Amino acid sequence: MPVLTRLPLITPDRPLRTVAWRGSRRVSQQQFLLDVYELSGRLPEATHALNLCEDRYHFMVAFAAVCLRGQTNLLPPSQAVGIIGEIAVAYPGSYALGDTAAPDLPLRWMDVKDGAADERDVNLALSALSVPSLPADQVAALVFTSGSTGAPQAHAKTWRTLALTAPLAARRFLAAGSPAVNLVATVPPQHMYGLETTVMMALNGNCAAHAGRAFFPADLRAALQQVPAPRVLITTPVHLRACVAAALPFPPLQLVISATAPLDPELAAAAEVALGAPVHEIYGCTEAGSMASRRTVGAGVWTFYPGIRLSREGGVDLVHGRHLPAPVAVPDSLESLGKNRFRLRGRSADLLKLAGKRGSLVELTARLLRIPGVHDAVVFVPDPPAGGEARPAALVVAPGLSGAQILAALEGVVDAVFLPRPLIRLSRLPRNAVGKLPRATLLAELERRRA
Amino acid sequence: MAAVIAASAAELEMAHLLVSALSLEDVTAEGIDPDAPLFGTGVSSLGLDSIDALEIALSVEQKYGVELRADDQDSKRIFSSLRNLCAHVQSHRKT
Repeated sequence: MPVLTRLPLITPDRPLRTVAWRGSRRVSQQQFLLDVYELSGRLPEATHALNLCEDRYHFMVAFAAVCLRGQTNLLPPSQAVGIIGEIAVAYPGSYALGDTAAPDLPLRWMDVKDGAADERDVNLALSALSVPSLPADQVAALVFTSGSTGAPQAHAKTWRTLALTAPLAARRFLAAGSPAVNLVATVPPQHMYGLETTVMMALNGNCAAHAGRAFFPADLRAALQQVPAPRVLITTPVHLRACVAAALPFPPLQLVISATAPLDPELAAAAEVALGAPVHEIYGCTEAGSMASRRTVGAGVWTFYPGIRLSREGGVDLVHGRHLPAPVAVPDSLESLGKNRFRLRGRSADLLKLAGKRGSLVELTARLLRIPGVHDAVVFVPDPPAGGEARPAALVVAPGLSGAQILAALEGVVDAVFLPRPLIRLSRLPRNAVGKLPRATLLAELERRRA
Repeated sequence: MAAVIAASAAELEMAHLLVSALSLEDVTAEGIDPDAPLFGTGVSSLGLDSIDALEIALSVEQKYGVELRADDQDSKRIFSSLRNLCAHVQSHRKT
């Protein structure tokens, strides 16, 4: 198959297709392109632009306009001023695009709402705007993760990788010939999972993304009510837990997709009942993007997206795909089951080896969470003492239980060497904006409690 | 330091709700400055995060019948302090 050197910005020849919903107002592809051309013409000369837009439609327009100018989107892991400042300093000459108040930073700031076609009623010319194409090798985005050391770490995404992953996901989740799906998401578009499943699915996966910042269950319900069926909810385990607890009546859903952290099968089952739709998980990593999926309730086996395969070299699992510039080392331990299927043994960093025994931190965490009274928990391995083996430590949120009671509940089901030491009870886990628990934060919490 | 405006009865009730909903161990309801930021890393901030916000929304809905929304134009102001959160809930409560 020839390697394409340019790929379209958006599905060609579909000017009237809906790409986004602003509230209950649909935005056609034609309107979107008009907004992209308009903004792109106003962008300053630069190589990099921080895309901080919170409204998903503003983000899409800014994202596409930056790409169209041959520039690269910088996507920070959170809107924290400190993180934005660090990234801005690392890319001198960069500017920021946003739709809220400018952060208090020495930063060239541009409000995407100024002059954007936002609220104006446009009588579109009947002649369709031409769909631009982008160089496939252009770095469309640098996606930043918090990184274990604390400094934001950049992951380069070419237009080829982003543009070709969306159709893979579409083929997995959307039946051929089915009507276009409307996406409502709780994940920010700056996050790799949010970028792939909402922005790129709208541009290249025949879907339409709701622009709202759905966060609370009531936001989600309102956003879902604003779009017609078929509706797909893109979310995380933390938000699913909140939705189940809120017990609100939600409009009928076709599918729920979860990612960013392992989804507990019991929560998945409860969410399927509460939301009346199958709950699927996406497996991926920031390095390679999304690559596989499974329905959480059931076998627990993952299936790669079409065209993705696994190899094992030097003890490392490598994922291959036509959309990836090079094979990517997976940060987890995968057990291949053949026919594009695999089982996740645990994050490699989560693989626990103690006294000749092997355990999984994911499994230990799951066992803790199953204890009645435990609301939230994480098990991790601190840095080992000189010459010694580190034992797993646990942070647990369980207001009504003592440490001894929690350990007693674990004793019957967990080998003694894997019993967390120390087991620290606290009021809440130090989760970041997407609900993850960066290792540096866990270590800091441990240090603080030991001091 | 700016003078702390004492918490009203409604604010104290909201402070109790936060302490119990979030299982705050090192904070008492009476100890929360009604004007201090709830979120963020500032010195006076209560240091809550977005996951706490989800918990607060659930508890507020259950106790007062008020649904909190992130896409509300005023959401940043509502969540900026105990006083603003309380004022919003009091003006929208159904129970």
